[in-house]
Amino acid sequence: MIYKKKSPLFIFLLPGLLLMIVFLYIPFIENIMNSFYDMTSVVKIPGKEWNFIGFDNYTKLLSDPKLKIAIANSLKMMVLAVIFQVGIAFILAVMVSMIKKGQQIFRTVYFFPIVISATAIGLLFKLFYNYNGGMLNQLMLALDKEPINWLAPELAFIMVSIPTIWSYVGFYFVIILTGISAIPEELYESASIDGCSRLKQVWYITIPMVRGVMCTCITLAVTGALKVFDLPWVIVPKGAPQGLTHFLGTYMYEQTFLISNIDYGSTLALIIVILGVVVSKVVSRIVKPDDNL
Amino acid sequence: MKKVKRLLSLILTFVLVMSLLAACGKDAKQTDTDTPQNKVEDSKDDGGDKSGEETTPDQADTPNPVTLTTVSMHGGTDPNAENYQAISEQFMKDYPYITIEDDSQSADQDWKTKVAADFAVGNEPDVIQYFTDANASDVLAADKFVSIEEIKAEYPDYAKDTLLAALIAAQNPDGVQRAVPTTGYWEGLFCNKDLFDQYGLDLPTDWDKLLTAIDTFKANDIIPIAVSLNNVPHYWIEFLMLSAAGPESYTSVPETAPEDWCKGLEMFKTLRDLGAFPVDTDTIDNDFAGELFKNKQAAMQLDGSWYAGGIPDQENTVLCSFPVIPGGKAQPGFMVGGISSGFYITKKAWEDPDKRDAAVKFVMAHTNSEAVTKYWGGNGQAAAKVEPIESMTSLGISGLEYSSAATSISSPTDSRISQEAYNTLVAGIVDVSTGARTAEDLLNEVLQINAR
Repeated sequence: MIYKKKSPLFIFLLPGLLLMIVFLYIPFIENIMNSFYDMTSVVKIPGKEWNFIGFDNYTKLLSDPKLKIAIANSLKMMVLAVIFQVGIAFILAVMVSMIKKGQQIFRTVYFFPIVISATAIGLLFKLFYNYNGGMLNQLMLALDKEPINWLAPELAFIMVSIPTIWSYVGFYFVIILTGISAIPEELYESASIDGCSRLKQVWYITIPMVRGVMCTCITLAVTGALKVFDLPWVIVPKGAPQGLTHFLGTYMYEQTFLISNIDYGSTLALIIVILGVVVSKVVSRIVKPDDNL
Repeated sequence: MKKVKRLLSLILTFVLVMSLLAACGKDAKQTDTDTPQNKVEDSKDDGGDKSGEETTPDQADTPNPVTLTTVSMHGGTDPNAENYQAISEQFMKDYPYITIEDDSQSADQDWKTKVAADFAVGNEPDVIQYFTDANASDVLAADKFVSIEEIKAEYPDYAKDTLLAALIAAQNPDGVQRAVPTTGYWEGLFCNKDLFDQYGLDLPTDWDKLLTAIDTFKANDIIPIAVSLNNVPHYWIEFLMLSAAGPESYTSVPETAPEDWCKGLEMFKTLRDLGAFPVDTDTIDNDFAGELFKNKQAAMQLDGSWYAGGIPDQENTVLCSFPVIPGGKAQPGFMVGGISSGFYITKKAWEDPDKRDAAVKFVMAHTNSEAVTKYWGGNGQAAAKVEPIESMTSLGISGLEYSSAATSISSPTDSRISQEAYNTLVAGIVDVSTGARTAEDLLNEVLQINAR
């Protein structure tokens, strides 16, 4: 250790710890307590008591069809995020790493959606999908086709997933590209001299060398999928149509702030945290590259 | 070297302390120069226009500077936001010693939650324009408002322009009058009359005419009814239930779902199956639905009196009383409406001797006949005696005729049941309209939540 005296370190760590306790851990514990009461308002109003309802909210979870949809959609989004977000980002990163000129342009172009706010992207896609006068239906009409209800129950989840996945491809693209850039050029040169094709180079050199980066990306994609909220909420608020596009975050928000069922919202929040911890543990065990990482 | 460092540290500390003290001293000086006497005198020298002797601040007294925190629903895109701001600005000109710190926003669920939280933690404003019905139950439970009776004991002219009937209509669920209202509202069926004329249709004054209109419009690629079931099905909930149950049953709060209420809500499915709603009624916003009506892509829309002012075609849009559904108990001409908001003074302001007078003056400035005329603008009902507006549009006249001809006026369901119960009702309508859930099941859940 560089420092012999440890006490100053604690002094510097203390403010951060205090902030975490005040703004994260105490509210979290309070949130758990709230889930056992019938809350009539966000904070207790003098003169109004909250009734203790025990495990009612937890029993309700078991029979709530919308929660099942929300969990299923969140899990589906995790799979889609791994396959498409990380997958597409990897393919793009490999292709961009192979070109000598204009690499910077591609970096900027693919990374660009990250800097646009999710609300703006959501609004953009909402206008694309709009049945009356939306961009996609204008194209359909120009092609003499009947307009399509792009957010009909059978299409809605796919239509919401597209921008959600697309908007984060650039993030993983940059991470993976940075990982690929760190691979020594000599490895590829030796492989070329030995007659190894480009595809084989990717398979035998790139993938093993960026495995650690890929594992990080997969963990981020999976845990990120659990936090999906803003884009679906702007495109299809309240899980529209018919609650079919609810994710855990959107469902909790609807229950808490729109329906005012704050205690049930607290229960859902706890479920999200538990699921998040479990999923991230499972994923980190599955995709752990090797003991050295 | 160490000595130099120590010296430098001492100098820096001294400079920092002195700069802080200097900053405090400067503020105090500035406050002194901004005393109300100076401000009042300045405005007097300028010949500032005062609104009559009664409201002119007493020159003999030297009122302390007052900062009044105010909150209202006239913010954001509210049609009366401009009027509210104009009246508040004029008020500050009339009383230069009063500064208004306003935090008005459009009244949505998030805003209601924020207001309730503010009242719970003692962060309530001095004056608030807020709901008077069950929507205010959380805030009323905190018992932080002063009653009109108490205010009138000290300020007999308080709410003097407000009609007695309006004050009664704006009383809180516990029967106490605390809020001074400005306007009331009605809800009604807006129709694009030019579209009805184009296809030779009668206005939907009865159910058969409504069904004929739906069929005809649908056949001609016109959306019969503009509504977003996912966003704002509220008006349809009210009218269908009222139409089926009649005012007496509709305004009751039963413990289990009454048959009539269920019958009314089941009509959502009938209308949906007939193709009366937009194809994307489950996903569009209310604003989009409104655009469909305004652009003549849709023929009918149920909305409130506040909606009339935003309709571009004031000549060809008319209001029509809602038809009674088959077997419905309501009499033709029934209407949803009432007075649901008003200006309150909080105890926090009332107990502060400086703020008390300022708060009373502020509410009086917003609720006198002149202000009410501005807020009313020909839409809805005025809570004070107002002069008729000469330049009323054809739609304005239609609205006035519609509300005047009402055979019964019933306040909406959310004025009687808890917010959580009402929001559950609204959130369940899409499922009722698709048949995924029965109206009885939904209503029983709603009434169960309300009974808790």
